[in-house]
Amino acid sequence: MPVFAYTVRRLLQMIPLLFAASVVIFTLLALQPGDPLDELRQQNPRITAEQLEQLRRAYGLDQPVYVRYFKWLGRALQGDFGQSRTYASPAGQIIFGQRLPRTLVLSGAALTLALLVAIPVGIFSAVRQYSRADYIITFLSFVGFSMPIFFLGILLLFVFAVWLPEQIPWFPKFPVQSISDFQWSQVTSGEISFFQFIGDWAFKLVLPVLALSTIQMASWTRYMRASLLEVLNQDYVRTARAKGLGERIVLYKHALRNALIPIVTLVGLAIPGVFGGAVITETIFSYPGMGRAIFDSLVEKDYNVAMAALAFLALLTALFNLLADLMYAVVDPRIRYS
Amino acid sequence: MKRKLMALTILSGLALAGPQDNSLIIGAAQEPRVLAGDVVNAISNQSIKFEIENFLFAPIVQTTRDLDVIPVVVTEVPTAQNGRLRFTNVRPGIRRLELDYTIRPDAVWSDGRPISTEDVALYFEMGKTKGVPSTSVDFFDRATLRVRDARNFTVSLEPAYFYDLDINQVYYAPNHIMRAEWDKAKAAAAQATDTARQAEIFRNFFAQFSNPQFLNSGRMVYSGPFTLTRWVPGSTIEMQRNPRFWIKPPGGEDKYVQRVVYRIIQNTNSLLVAILGGGIDAASSVSISFDQGRSKQLTSRAPGRFEIWSVPTPFFEHLEINQFTNVQRVKDLQLDNAKTRQALILAMNREGITKAFFDGLYTVSHTWVAPQNPMFNPNVTKYPYNPERARQLLAELGWRPGPDGILQRTVDGRTVRFEIEWATTAGNQVRERIQQFVAENYRQVGIAVRINNAPSAVLLGAQYRARAQEGTWTGFLHYAFSMGQADDGVRSACRDDEGRLVYVPTRDNGFRGLNFGGWCNEEYDRLRNQAVLEFDVNRRKQLFARMQEIWANEVAMIPLYFQSDARVFRVGLLNYTSSTFANSAYPTIEPWLIGWQSRGAQKVYDQAKYGQPIK
Repeated sequence: MPVFAYTVRRLLQMIPLLFAASVVIFTLLALQPGDPLDELRQQNPRITAEQLEQLRRAYGLDQPVYVRYFKWLGRALQGDFGQSRTYASPAGQIIFGQRLPRTLVLSGAALTLALLVAIPVGIFSAVRQYSRADYIITFLSFVGFSMPIFFLGILLLFVFAVWLPEQIPWFPKFPVQSISDFQWSQVTSGEISFFQFIGDWAFKLVLPVLALSTIQMASWTRYMRASLLEVLNQDYVRTARAKGLGERIVLYKHALRNALIPIVTLVGLAIPGVFGGAVITETIFSYPGMGRAIFDSLVEKDYNVAMAALAFLALLTALFNLLADLMYAVVDPRIRYS
Repeated sequence: MKRKLMALTILSGLALAGPQDNSLIIGAAQEPRVLAGDVVNAISNQSIKFEIENFLFAPIVQTTRDLDVIPVVVTEVPTAQNGRLRFTNVRPGIRRLELDYTIRPDAVWSDGRPISTEDVALYFEMGKTKGVPSTSVDFFDRATLRVRDARNFTVSLEPAYFYDLDINQVYYAPNHIMRAEWDKAKAAAAQATDTARQAEIFRNFFAQFSNPQFLNSGRMVYSGPFTLTRWVPGSTIEMQRNPRFWIKPPGGEDKYVQRVVYRIIQNTNSLLVAILGGGIDAASSVSISFDQGRSKQLTSRAPGRFEIWSVPTPFFEHLEINQFTNVQRVKDLQLDNAKTRQALILAMNREGITKAFFDGLYTVSHTWVAPQNPMFNPNVTKYPYNPERARQLLAELGWRPGPDGILQRTVDGRTVRFEIEWATTAGNQVRERIQQFVAENYRQVGIAVRINNAPSAVLLGAQYRARAQEGTWTGFLHYAFSMGQADDGVRSACRDDEGRLVYVPTRDNGFRGLNFGGWCNEEYDRLRNQAVLEFDVNRRKQLFARMQEIWANEVAMIPLYFQSDARVFRVGLLNYTSSTFANSAYPTIEPWLIGWQSRGAQKVYDQAKYGQPIK
């Protein structure tokens, strides 16, 4: 049971790590210049210092940082992340009930699309090295990952929501808002069908998924190509060919499995990012996910939401780190845990 | 069939939007945190919240775009003539104002229940209860309510100020919906010992009546011409016409917009694309920037499709000048001397700024009072760009050109260069461009500019802006604040009527006050202390006129311009009009009048009266 013992030990080690991470995050948030009352001071010049002081007490801002931290920690351990100042709802509900599922849909779809395109295109590009198609793919890959996402997003919106529908009357006009008007409760109540629900969500997600997946698609295509080319030049591949195996078997059974190992590592590294959301894409396409929740909560100094989201991401990072370590043994049987 | 129709409506929403189905789709760059139930603004005082609530709740009285006050929920606006307004002199400098109101007999909530004094009483009770984190604390501290019967009530304000007659501060809350939970929250708060816990209880109370889940349940009632039907967080807010609303627009309400949808598109570039694509009928007051409003993409597609207007706002772009002589740099540059400040304004090509950056759509301001404000005095000293005169004034103050062309003088044996610090909000492109523009103007008269920008959270935070006395900033502080219709000149005031230095942030008063630069003038203070208690408009106008003369003569601050907003809406949309001040800056006041010309709506307000077209 060395793996079990190793896992338990790593999980126990996570406790002080997460505690330290939460202290650092909380302290950094508290060190931000200004406080939530700044906006009020700006908007209402008649508010007196006494009235402001009363509000400071009401928001608990008069207490030292460590008192505020331990109060937060005590409640967070019981699953209560406090009330969001900006959304007037429990912070945990906003992060885990609303934002996280949406982010998983968007980022998950983008990741899947990127993989589905990058792997076959990368293979094709490697197999047809230095062909015209390889050059075109290489060119498009470079364009893809050198294009800033804020520019690509607006460009896609302009082309698909304005320009093409202006030029071609029958062209479907893509919406600027990527969040569907439909909610799951409407399906359960029978107001709309499941297919209408899925159809509307899918249609509205086309552009943000395309924008978000472009960079990963481009870079993973290049990685796949390079990795496969490296494997194809290995001795054992030459041996396989010398044995008289067919090219498909050589490629898919011998070369590809090994070439995919670095891609698996890259994908593993990208997964915590899936949970963290994509602030720029979410903002451009009006998609309220985790990235925007974190960004807005920092700007608005909505500490409870920011803490809930960032502490959750710290936990995920630690968990995926552990998972990656465990996966090494699966990928490479030579690794032993002690 | 119904399902198919609904899906078709949503999927092809763009095609059916606007005049075709008598609806209105408004694009907003911000989502309200809460709506409806947060009646004392304990959770939010966002502009977008007020803009949308104009559709949902009728005000007691309404200040119109022309700054007239009209009754909405009540029968008459209190005036001395109708005997509903009374003053009492309580003691010197303190007056009590009493306002009598009668609720209209036909004013009802959307469930048909009459609006009554119980609703007004609940609002006052909420605002005045200890521990409620209302942002209108200054009003509730001064106000008391006397209920006379189910429809009649009196509001007393002590001390009363002139703006109490210009701004509606009296609201109401649905007693039959909120009372039971309010009593529970009040009882729970009474048990709580610390203020933070009490505030949390009250915030939770307001949140439960204002979050999307509650509002989508259909249990909230409204008193405005529209009721909220659906709020999809992060996406849309839908409202439909309230048939029980008592004010009927000319020609009948069926000729006006029946359904309003707010689409939340945070990124203003995306919002601009949505407007260009035709998915949005009108931009909210919280939407695209002025620069985006006059962008080529929009203006080239506008003819026949959109109207684009530049509407002045009360946001006063200006430079405050540190005048605390205990700060060495201030003393060295003689910034406390009016002649120096006059030289600084004369050497600045403010007309050039408005032409270069705003195509002349902004006009240079000469006082802190907006031209649309009845208190505005157009006859103050003006300082057109005159570098020669600036040079003369500086020479009179002992400044001579140094070897590098920058002016210098000798102070206590030290050679001092005329290098002025200029702090503004980092990342604000317009302000950073103005700095560069003026630095070039100043270089021509021998003044060097040292730019020292900081993020707005730092620059406008209490530890920086209010501590000019400690030299946190030593020259110009460049930003904007709102000088609304009810502005009382407090940002340039020094002493109160008892001679206490309360308006200038200093070490002695714990850095309280809003006169951050520390300019002081005895006559200005005396006039201001009279003006805030002067309820006669003409007499107040005279006092404000003289205050502005003093302010401009002394160059208390360097006024640049009043910002404008871009307003965009489809051709044919009527009465979606905004003007400069307070609630009238929202195009959604008197929302029962918003409609499409092609559906028979009649024009009551003309945007041309309140702004100028952008072409």
